[in-house]
Amino acid sequence: MSRSASIIGAAVSRIDGPDKLTGRARYAGDFHPEGMTYAYGVYSTIARGRVVSIDTQAAMRCPGVLDVFHHGNFPSLHRSPASFAEENVVDEKRVPFEDDEVFYAGQFVALVVADSFEHARAAAYQVKVTYDEDTNTVATLAQAMEKRGSTHANDSERGDPEGAYQSAPHQVDATYTTPVETHNPMETHTTVARWIDGKLEVWDSTQGVVFTRNTLSKVFDLDPSRVIVHADFIGSGFGGKLWVWPHCIATAGAARELGRPVQFVLPRQQMFTTSGHRPETSQHVRLAADNDGTLLSIRHENVNSTSHVGTVVEACAGSTEGLYKCDNLRISHATSITDRGTPTAMRAPGAGVGLFALESAMDELAVKLGMDPLELRRKNFTDRDPGADLPYSSNHLLECYDRAAESFGWSRRTPGVGSMRDGDKIIGWGMAACNWDAMRNPCDARVTLHDDGSASVHCASQDIGTGTYTVLAQIASAELDLPLDRIDIKLGDSTFPHGPISGGSWATASLLPAVAEAARAAIDKIKEYAGKAGSPLADADPNDFVYEKGMVKDGHGKAVSIADILKPQQLASATGEAHTGGAPDSGYSFGSFGTHFVEITWEPAIAQLKVTRVVSAIDAGQIINQKSARNQVEGAIVMGMSSALFEATEYDERNARPVNNNYAEYLVPVNADMPQLDVILLDHPDYELNEFGARGIGEIGLTGMQAAVANAVYHATGKRVRDLPVMLDKLMDETE
Amino acid sequence: MMDSNDTPVDVRLSLRVNGQMRQLDVPPNVVLLDALRDRLGLTGTKKGCDHGQCGACTVLVNGEAINSCLALAVVHDGDDITTVEGLAGEADLSPLQAAFLEHDAYQCGYCTPGQLMSATELLSNRKVGTTDAEVAEAMSGNICRCGAYKNILSAIQETRQQHAGAAID
Repeated sequence: MSRSASIIGAAVSRIDGPDKLTGRARYAGDFHPEGMTYAYGVYSTIARGRVVSIDTQAAMRCPGVLDVFHHGNFPSLHRSPASFAEENVVDEKRVPFEDDEVFYAGQFVALVVADSFEHARAAAYQVKVTYDEDTNTVATLAQAMEKRGSTHANDSERGDPEGAYQSAPHQVDATYTTPVETHNPMETHTTVARWIDGKLEVWDSTQGVVFTRNTLSKVFDLDPSRVIVHADFIGSGFGGKLWVWPHCIATAGAARELGRPVQFVLPRQQMFTTSGHRPETSQHVRLAADNDGTLLSIRHENVNSTSHVGTVVEACAGSTEGLYKCDNLRISHATSITDRGTPTAMRAPGAGVGLFALESAMDELAVKLGMDPLELRRKNFTDRDPGADLPYSSNHLLECYDRAAESFGWSRRTPGVGSMRDGDKIIGWGMAACNWDAMRNPCDARVTLHDDGSASVHCASQDIGTGTYTVLAQIASAELDLPLDRIDIKLGDSTFPHGPISGGSWATASLLPAVAEAARAAIDKIKEYAGKAGSPLADADPNDFVYEKGMVKDGHGKAVSIADILKPQQLASATGEAHTGGAPDSGYSFGSFGTHFVEITWEPAIAQLKVTRVVSAIDAGQIINQKSARNQVEGAIVMGMSSALFEATEYDERNARPVNNNYAEYLVPVNADMPQLDVILLDHPDYELNEFGARGIGEIGLTGMQAAVANAVYHATGKRVRDLPVMLDKLMDETE
Repeated sequence: MMDSNDTPVDVRLSLRVNGQMRQLDVPPNVVLLDALRDRLGLTGTKKGCDHGQCGACTVLVNGEAINSCLALAVVHDGDDITTVEGLAGEADLSPLQAAFLEHDAYQCGYCTPGQLMSATELLSNRKVGTTDAEVAEAMSGNICRCGAYKNILSAIQETRQQHAGAAID
């Protein structure tokens, strides 16, 4: 292997940066195929009931209108199975315009297509829909559990959690709730679809071109080879763009009916209804411990909201089984149906909200024990995954605790509530552990060495903003011993060699081995050509061939360029392909670990709460790119802080309609909300997972943040907020 | 402006976009953002909310940063518009763009054109203070859902320091 290692782990600037900084980077909505038309949706204003009539006469008379589609005239399509193995997952299983039934406010009831965006929008406002409304709606998880109960999804148990709890000297029993959160990537969901000779071509804002291709092929009953999906650049997704949502199918269907390309851009308002969200959860946690803090029993039992048109289980206890050493444990998950759109995975699904509950409960336990919350966690550390009953391949959580605590100054913390002050401000210090599975999926890649001395890499995965283009270029550069600017990375096209969805923090761990192996195969290929008749090295012993910096050398030091090797073979390039597998079955459990230390200030006189400082230490294996990896973790911390303090999609309890479905009233952090942020990346390679020792890094930074913030809020105020987000009214309530 | 059938008629307007005179005929309800993207092929400017809430569509109009989704195109007849495509001029990247590259001041890149336009105006606007807190406040009309705020701030501040005294445009 001729890998030049210095570029692995370097702080390389993004290779796609110049395109993003000059407007050249093209997102789905930037592709305007010849003859493109514009679609605009009409959405249900009721949450439950039936469409009685759709009057399209006025709309059809509007200038530029080509057609108005609805359940009465839309073509009959097929549902896609929702299978991870078949790579065609959908969460909203109903196909748009299937029938006249309405399951949630914001459901598509019509789609207007016109020759311009303005014409389509104006006409959409003229579509008159009448409904038979079922006013007995269920807007929230609490209403759903009361009216409809819950449905058991799964559970797992070890030891005797109930008995151990009852006999333990210290117990915590608390219920934590988290609201609906909406992904809200900056780019709203966008589809541009066109049909040519019975083939469907789609430019889509998707985190998975292969999954989207497979789903559309099922829906339109086409061979997958007749569907092409492009996603060169994606304005991020955070899980919302993993699967196909109704707009994509509606747009492709309309394009087929009209015989013209159609562009559809989901309005921001409908990002809150018809394209998924993180479900609402209610999490019952019971912990028991011995006098020295040893955990004796853990129970984490959960219910989350789902919809009529898809059952999504939020695996809140996903991290609970394996984070702490404890012989007695029970976890369970159940769902309850609301009259809202279908939830889906949102960044760090499961642990993202689950560790809010578990790590808040750990803080409550530390208070009961009179123990430092950091010491409680150290005490219960495990280097073996008790859930899988396997050792962790690499777990440096204790080092994370040490380094973050040292950097934060945790030893100066005084435990008393409100005991730390800065003038009129009360300071709170809190901490929590964070955790995410380290996954790896099968992946194919193709690496091509060209006769101009450049190389290209092809894979049907995508870069959603995480830096995939750049880390692949680093790997190809290292393997091929070529400078970065001679490497071209091609992603986001379903016709490329099969690649995984960009989700689960597995892209890096999955793609790197495939690209490296394909690069080595390309080198083998060029060596093979070097030994063929006509080659300048034809007389040399092929066993002596060494590849270096785009040249092949023989045993006597004679070096020949790729161009000179290819030319006699009448070839323009040498190609290597590879298929690499999923996580190895090597007797290990794979995970990433870390911790957040958070400082908040609470100024009671003006009721101002601010996160002022965050120090996080993350053990995510070998860091491939210091710049983009750090940025990923920092961004996840910002989103975790956002979940702690700001985010909640609110629904009117009388009619199940979202009420803050816009970017002014759905609060997210802006630059002025930023705390001082210090991220420590541990950088211990995990060679059990892949040859580069890299695990994922996109999600772990979010997990545990809400608990670290809420624990700091408790330390400052004595208010234990168990219901996210930590809004000011929960701190100002004096009755507690 | 309507014709005899109450149908809006197109309005002719001239815009100087990134230094080039562009003439177009648009219905009166076309907003500047859509005119740039759909009618002038300048897709660098992004639509994030269409309601002036996110800042992705920020462009410079006569040197001032505005949300182009909140402006009717016809109102800007004769105006001088700068979009992200025009930021570098003849160079590969403007100093600010180069600082964004170096500081990794983005992730997905979708809000980036808007961030760059707001920052460009801010750097030449003497009414805006120069401390980190003041710059962060001034940049708070541009949401970055990826949360690259720390790097955005450091890129802007480095651009200011590197080019102190020089006009940045």
